[in-house]
Amino acid sequence: MKISLNWLKKYVKIDVDNAALEKLIDSRLVEIEEIIDESKKYDNIFVVKVVECEAIPETHLHLCQIDTGAKELTQVVCGAPNVHAGMLAAWVAPGAIVPASVHEDAPFVIGKRKMLNKYDSCGMLAGADELDFTTDHSTIVEIDPEIAKPGDKLADIFELNDVILDIENKSLTHRPDCFGVLGFAREVAGVLGEKFVSEPAIEDADFKKLGVNVADSAICPRYSAVVLKKHGELKKKYLTLQDTMLAKAGMRPVDPIVDATNYLMLLTGQPLHAFDYDKFLAVGGTTEPKVGVRLAKKGEKLTLLDDTEAALVDTDIVITSNDVPVALAGAMGGKSTMIDENTKNVIIESATFSLFNLRKTQMAHGIFSEAITRFTKGQPAYQTLAVALKCAEMLKEGFEISEVIDSGYKKEENVVKITTDEINNLLGTNYILAEIVSTLENVEFKVEVSGNNLTVTAPAWRTDIHIKEDIIEEIGRLNGYDNIAPVLPLHATAEKNKLVSLKSQIRNFFSLAGANELLTYTFVHGDLLQKVGQDIHNSYRLVNSISPDLQYLRQQIVPSLLVKSYENLKAKHSSFALFEMNQVFLRSDGVDEDNVPYANNNLAMVVVDNTENTKYYLAKKYLEELAKKLGIKLTFKAYKPAKEGYETYYESKRSAGVYVDDTLIGVIGEIKFSALSKLKLPRGVAAFEISLDQLVKFATLKKVAGEISEFPTVSRDITITTSDSYETVFKKLEDKLIKRDLVYSIEPTSIYQADEKAIPSLSFHLEFADRTKTLEAAEIQAIMDELEKIA
Amino acid sequence: MQTLEQLKAELKALGAEYAKIKDVPPAERAEFGRKINLKKQEILDKIKAAEEAALEQDVTPIDITAPTAPNQPLPVFLPSENGSKHPLMTELDRVVEIYQMMGFDVVEPRQLDDEFHMFDSLNFSKGHPARDGYDTFRTEEGYIPPAHTSTMQHRVLKAYKKNLEQGKNIAVVVPGRVFRNEDVDATHEHTFYQCEGVYVSKDCTLGNMLGILREFFEKYYEQKLDISTQPGYFPFTEPSLEFKIEKPKTLGGKKGEFIEMLGCGMIHPNVLKMAGIDPTVYHGFAWGGGIDRLVMLRYGLKDVRYFESGKLNFLKEF
Repeated sequence: MKISLNWLKKYVKIDVDNAALEKLIDSRLVEIEEIIDESKKYDNIFVVKVVECEAIPETHLHLCQIDTGAKELTQVVCGAPNVHAGMLAAWVAPGAIVPASVHEDAPFVIGKRKMLNKYDSCGMLAGADELDFTTDHSTIVEIDPEIAKPGDKLADIFELNDVILDIENKSLTHRPDCFGVLGFAREVAGVLGEKFVSEPAIEDADFKKLGVNVADSAICPRYSAVVLKKHGELKKKYLTLQDTMLAKAGMRPVDPIVDATNYLMLLTGQPLHAFDYDKFLAVGGTTEPKVGVRLAKKGEKLTLLDDTEAALVDTDIVITSNDVPVALAGAMGGKSTMIDENTKNVIIESATFSLFNLRKTQMAHGIFSEAITRFTKGQPAYQTLAVALKCAEMLKEGFEISEVIDSGYKKEENVVKITTDEINNLLGTNYILAEIVSTLENVEFKVEVSGNNLTVTAPAWRTDIHIKEDIIEEIGRLNGYDNIAPVLPLHATAEKNKLVSLKSQIRNFFSLAGANELLTYTFVHGDLLQKVGQDIHNSYRLVNSISPDLQYLRQQIVPSLLVKSYENLKAKHSSFALFEMNQVFLRSDGVDEDNVPYANNNLAMVVVDNTENTKYYLAKKYLEELAKKLGIKLTFKAYKPAKEGYETYYESKRSAGVYVDDTLIGVIGEIKFSALSKLKLPRGVAAFEISLDQLVKFATLKKVAGEISEFPTVSRDITITTSDSYETVFKKLEDKLIKRDLVYSIEPTSIYQADEKAIPSLSFHLEFADRTKTLEAAEIQAIMDELEKIA
Repeated sequence: MQTLEQLKAELKALGAEYAKIKDVPPAERAEFGRKINLKKQEILDKIKAAEEAALEQDVTPIDITAPTAPNQPLPVFLPSENGSKHPLMTELDRVVEIYQMMGFDVVEPRQLDDEFHMFDSLNFSKGHPARDGYDTFRTEEGYIPPAHTSTMQHRVLKAYKKNLEQGKNIAVVVPGRVFRNEDVDATHEHTFYQCEGVYVSKDCTLGNMLGILREFFEKYYEQKLDISTQPGYFPFTEPSLEFKIEKPKTLGGKKGEFIEMLGCGMIHPNVLKMAGIDPTVYHGFAWGGGIDRLVMLRYGLKDVRYFESGKLNFLKEF
């Protein structure tokens, strides 16, 4: 929403400079998105009188001598059909920037020119489009001699030396009253500590009353209108201040009736709509307007002003003439009752509608206008008739009121009882009673005081005031939250969140171990799910995704990391371990106790390296060393998938279930060739994905420090040739050493296999010591002999 | 199942079949060609599957319990200097650490939630236009990937209500991932991170909220900071404010240059009521702000899209 400071200043006395005002508005009223300085926009544009005007033969041009207020006349060539001797026009002097081009990269500057190779032309006579008031390029503007004389600055006559505030609408969602200059001015007064006094909304009108059939006051709290009969011509000859006001608010002057309705909407926040009265009767087939307001019926159609045919839905509100829809309420008028140059009589509608219905209408039909922006904030009902009457007043030169329509409305007073303590205790302030009362009265709340108790009655336009906190907000805001002292409260110590701490520990460990933490999107393409063999129906699907790339919620993290592995390989990285900790969802998991999809917190890693080594073992090393740090003993076993979709892309002969005791916490393995080829990855990529929710249950802060014997430690290497698995051999070695009650460590050193058919030899480095004595050579030999035999 | 040889023979035979097209009446040729092509594609798919299956047949099993494969060295970690933590996570950890020092518990949000937690429990009336401002995604079932961490307020209030009963305060932060249906550019992401704060006690004030927030940012930027506010509108807080800090000098800030950090306010009585907390006895405040921008400012990053790009060239900088 654009608000002109000059317009604002007509209603509120502003004693501070613009910078201070902007800061106050920004910190106590609303976010200003942009401050548009137009103070230079109309520099060097003057009111001039066309003294002589001669047609240049065989062209559409005229050679004009103009009085610019200087001693001598200036010659300018003008192509507009309405240029004539005696008129006042707007002259863009040589060197001035054409206002419509001010914000362009290369603003247009008019100089002295020679037209048709012989006529000197100095500057130009401007059209309303060049002055940035309308898009009309057919004529030049004509200025009323009553208000200006040659040599006047255009900016002075039309208050164009201005600053425009572009307001962030979102932060006023709850303040329909601020969507009009008057309401905004009231708030500015409040912020400046000045008392604002509104003109009373005059509604008593001694005219013939017509009925209106509002189907349900919930969809239309109040419907008012005035019927205007033409009795004269509305002359629109000169550029007016109102035109420039509309333009500065981003609206274009069109014709006198529409301009009046727009002007009043900008001023009061109340949108108006004009119907052609005679067409309205014709559509309904009545002799007197039979106005109705009701919900549209499914299947009803309405051709709108912009020639589109709207297929109405049953939440749309329509205005009807004898039950025939003639307008989509709050959104757009219908073609059948549109005013045009032949319009004689009009109906000016001023109503309020359910913001909930209008929001749906806005979405269903994609209509975004200044009017519906205001309606969807919930315009109050108190002023509809008053604004309609004001519109009639503005049009009185051409029209007179013949009838008035008003449904009336349910008047509600919002009264809040509050104490000064309640206000100060919530804000952390020490406002005294008098400050509180004047703050509220400045913006026209009624306040009754009894001791420290206040009974506050909100003005009619503050339909958002219901509870004490609403009043507290007014006090805090209008006096400036920035004047509240920040004070730290005292409170108890905090608990650690185990999962958060675990994740922090994991990222520290893995990053030091040369791995890279990634974050990838929660949403993936259905193709990716299919490439890794997952069932897309097991993924939650977005109905309004940005693109097919982001349509499904992922079931696991590894597939996303595989995609990133491909991209990084392409970027010439050859060895890396990518890991990510994030949430994943599977539809088959169902919902949790909150009745929302069950969330899995997972840790995933993908390992790629440029050696010939089996990548499974590098992935396993990352996982095992991590587990060690967390005090967890992992085992790797053949597994049955814990749930559907978990095993689809691991090579079954080169993957394992990751267990803690008997609990399966994840899967590790090399990725299947079929999945790799679809993802354009080389063979031998390994990955794991484990459940952090499980891991956190087993992780403990307790570290079992390796025992140390006081007696000498024996170091020996041993090689066992066997077809048993590594783990079996390890266990057997361990069992023997435990049985002898030794302090020990067993580290693998190598695995050797002469050829594919040969039995592997597993070599270990052993260290052991007795707890009570120094081991003798014979004893050591006996231990080693026993160990050798386990094969 | 057909062998690869059989399939290849079949494909060859199909080629011969195709040659017969010249004998087919012209009117039927298109249909004839279409059928052959369909069949051809079917065989090609089968060949591809068979080839893959053959390759997978070739895979030699490994000892899944071993530390390495026969005749291969023991695996070693990649060089430590290659490693990196994600900058967003590093900073989120720091944010959490500061709040923990200040006595806040940490609760993590969920990445798929419902209309109730996203809107209803936060005092958004049904069908209120304010719901549009959040550009939420929705699943077929109507679930919502949360558009703000405030979706956790109701859960936090309910879970920590017992604190109040024990005479303690509620002080919780919720750091996590949120989503908005927005076009992506250098400063907008559909996926980003926020940190929510919730504080409830018998006697806390708006001044306390400003105190906590200023303290946090001073700790985070390791310097004294000026703060400033702006009225805002959120259905779940009353009053509602936008909170700004003076851009820290270390980040090239000039005197009087304020940057918007978060939205905040006193928790609306309806939100407390809905969680079973009596708003006439207790009140509270809450805030929520983006983490991505905090990190971008800190590291002087120009493009938010790098965060979820997975590009090692970027990540290894951290």
